[in-house]
Amino acid sequence: MTPRVLPYLLALALTVVVLGVGAAAFAPPAAAQPAPAQVKPLPRSATPAGKDVSDRDVVTKRDAAGQVPATGKPRTSTGTALAFWLFAAITIGGSIFVITRKNLITAVMGMVGTFFGLAALYMLLYAHFLAVIQMLVYAGAIMVLFVFVIMILNKPEDEPYATKGRAGKAVAGLAMAYLIYRLASVLLSVDRNVTAAQLAAPAPTAEGYDWGSTAAVGWNLFNEYLFPFEAVSILLLVAVVGAIAVARPLKDDDGEVLPPGDGGRGAGGA
Amino acid sequence: MLMNIGFGHFLVLAAVLFAIGAAGVLLRKNVLIIMMSIELMLNAANLTIITFARMHGDLGGHSFAMVVIAVAAAEVAVGLAIVVAIFRTRRHADVDKLNILKH
Amino acid sequence: MTFSSGDLVYVAPFLVLAASGVLLVLAEAFFAGKDRSALAGLTVAGALASSVVSVVLYRQMGPSEAKLLFSEMLIADRTGYVLTALFGVVAALAALLAPAHQRAHGWVIGEDYGILLLAASGMVILAQAANLATVFLGVETMSIAVYVMTALRRRSRRGNEAALKYFLMGAFATGFLLYGMALVYGAVGTTSMVHIQGRLASGDLGLLTVGMFLMVAAFAFKVAAVPFHMWAPDAYEGAPTPVTAFMAAAVKAAAVAAMIRVFGQFMGGDRLPYGVIGWASPLVVLAAITITVGNIAAIRQDNIKRMLAYSSISHGGVLLVGLCAMGLGAKSGQASLLYYLIAYSLTTMGAFAVVAYVGNRDNERLDIDQWAGLASRHPAAALAMTVCLLALGGMPPTGGFFAKFYVFKSAMDTQDQQLLWLVAIGVVNSAISIFYYLRLVTAMYFKDARIEIAPTRSAALAFVMAVCPLVILEMGIFPGWWLSL
Repeated sequence: MTPRVLPYLLALALTVVVLGVGAAAFAPPAAAQPAPAQVKPLPRSATPAGKDVSDRDVVTKRDAAGQVPATGKPRTSTGTALAFWLFAAITIGGSIFVITRKNLITAVMGMVGTFFGLAALYMLLYAHFLAVIQMLVYAGAIMVLFVFVIMILNKPEDEPYATKGRAGKAVAGLAMAYLIYRLASVLLSVDRNVTAAQLAAPAPTAEGYDWGSTAAVGWNLFNEYLFPFEAVSILLLVAVVGAIAVARPLKDDDGEVLPPGDGGRGAGGA
Repeated sequence: MLMNIGFGHFLVLAAVLFAIGAAGVLLRKNVLIIMMSIELMLNAANLTIITFARMHGDLGGHSFAMVVIAVAAAEVAVGLAIVVAIFRTRRHADVDKLNILKH
Repeated sequence: MTFSSGDLVYVAPFLVLAASGVLLVLAEAFFAGKDRSALAGLTVAGALASSVVSVVLYRQMGPSEAKLLFSEMLIADRTGYVLTALFGVVAALAALLAPAHQRAHGWVIGEDYGILLLAASGMVILAQAANLATVFLGVETMSIAVYVMTALRRRSRRGNEAALKYFLMGAFATGFLLYGMALVYGAVGTTSMVHIQGRLASGDLGLLTVGMFLMVAAFAFKVAAVPFHMWAPDAYEGAPTPVTAFMAAAVKAAAVAAMIRVFGQFMGGDRLPYGVIGWASPLVVLAAITITVGNIAAIRQDNIKRMLAYSSISHGGVLLVGLCAMGLGAKSGQASLLYYLIAYSLTTMGAFAVVAYVGNRDNERLDIDQWAGLASRHPAAALAMTVCLLALGGMPPTGGFFAKFYVFKSAMDTQDQQLLWLVAIGVVNSAISIFYYLRLVTAMYFKDARIEIAPTRSAALAFVMAVCPLVILEMGIFPGWWLSL
């Protein structure tokens, strides 16, 4: 099997699995709006199995004290589940697009899809402000930067897959696959230790702002994260100055010469 | 499992995204695709952080994720600048063809 | 939770570095087309000022006093100030190397100085970090600045090839670092490292283990430990020599500083490092492989920069031994690590200063054979290089000897002497390393020059070449004061 075909097969298989799983979850179309949905995983409860088909749309009932009752079996609403699978499919599908496409612009579009899916998933996790930032910064700014550079370079690839050091990469890939396999079991077991309080919709912050809203994140950013927030400016300054210093046209440097012993022909290659 | 979306689902999704990004770095040889794959990895980490922030009810995770987004933007800017500089001196951007420095 | 302006005093080294970095970036606008040596002077002043401030703060802190700053984002203690002072000094030395090299090799770019100081400010964040967020921020500030510095010699195809390789590898490692941090955060529910120990009982050990292993791998990238070392020889060879010196000395020291904080102090102790789930288990294996592979690869190199690169890889392995010893509870672990970092950084700066001195515009003279006969024409340079090489090889009476001695001694101090095998590997490798260091010494002293040597002359360069070997000798003859830091 050539290395050219393998990623396509991989992509196809993964897409089929993800979409199939999403389709299996398909239920009445009350779903398309992710924002108000709630995430209610299954805590350990004493409910016997097999009695749970009736109350599909019941979101966790909370008693007056805000506790999830120990008897009823809390479920995610169908809308939430559907939204999750839909946006998970978009995220994974987009990312597979990125690593398999020959055409760079197509890859960028896959990337934008991934960012859109991720922003929607952030909404499901009550990270509303970050969802907006994700769209603005990643899809709006970073991907545009990519598109500009692609237009500057404007070169199609003749052979998109790296062939050097295949053995080392195979070992690295196997190690990674094993790691992900082990990791998945660890990650899924997180749900077993989740408490009812963690499942409930998050309470407003101590300052009275909705959890995950702009005000709440801003409060945290300017109190707990004040130092990193200010210090990021140093990093951004390095990036701005550095990017200009590295990428400005060569003719601007007065009196620079190509260091000898530097691979033959002059710089610029023209 | 399918209709009961828990934190585990988000976390596994993030792990898969991370793996796809890492696979892209290892398999592809166009620098821009490799950089996009690295962005995928950072986004997977961000999704993990935000999921855990929700789970622990800790808004600090959101602030951390904001810092990560800023860092990622800076990294992309510098990386693309280096790609442009490479392109100025050799008219291509293939990782496999960069072999002046011997091993 | 609230901001108090009193905290600002304790981060004064960072503020001085960042402010002078910003100032230099601005000053560059007024130096277009003029002599940029004045910028180097400003850089040295800023870096040394931050070192002086660090020393003052060091003297104000009690020996085991620690103060948490900015809602537990940073920590101020003596360890941190020793490291910040070191980073300031190394940045100053790197700035001294730069003007002569820039003129000689035609890459007169003023941005180099500002970015150098901003990189140092990232390292200072690392040295004082008490939160995973600040660790991440420090690593990235430092790394991004150094990617830029590697790429600054823009007409050199070696230079930008090295920069791209370094960038891609480094960014890949960043992904692992961040994912590891995310999992640790999930396990303990906080990014504040001060609380990680306390929350272990209720934490998810599975997540924590995977997260720690990913972080170990990412830091192994940054210190160039085998098998994550592929970028180092290429980046060291392709970068301009002053930048290479800064990378080899300061970036490695900063990565180790971060590891001292994350693993040695906050995840150390009696619970985490041990057994199958502990971070020390992969780290000892990495240390053993790194020392051995780095040395064996160094023997085969004919290019001096690549030889020094592999030698610095194997030194990274010894530093990892010290980290394991510290995490496993050796009392002298931290002091020996600090001593090693100081000795190693200064030695590396000295060695690369001589490399920068010997080369000139027509010929960088990176081949070992081209150094033949250096001793007869330029005895002082040859002597400086010899002292540095002996220190790197761990020979008395240089500081390099005591550095290795104390690190291995602290490894022996661990319970049940469980690092004995690692110490044996380290000692055998030190003996092997003498071979390739002496190869260069032999070339300088016992072979005749085949081509005329026209070195890059500069007072600043000569100063670095004189000071580094002298301090290393002083460290070797009177190690007591340095060890008490």
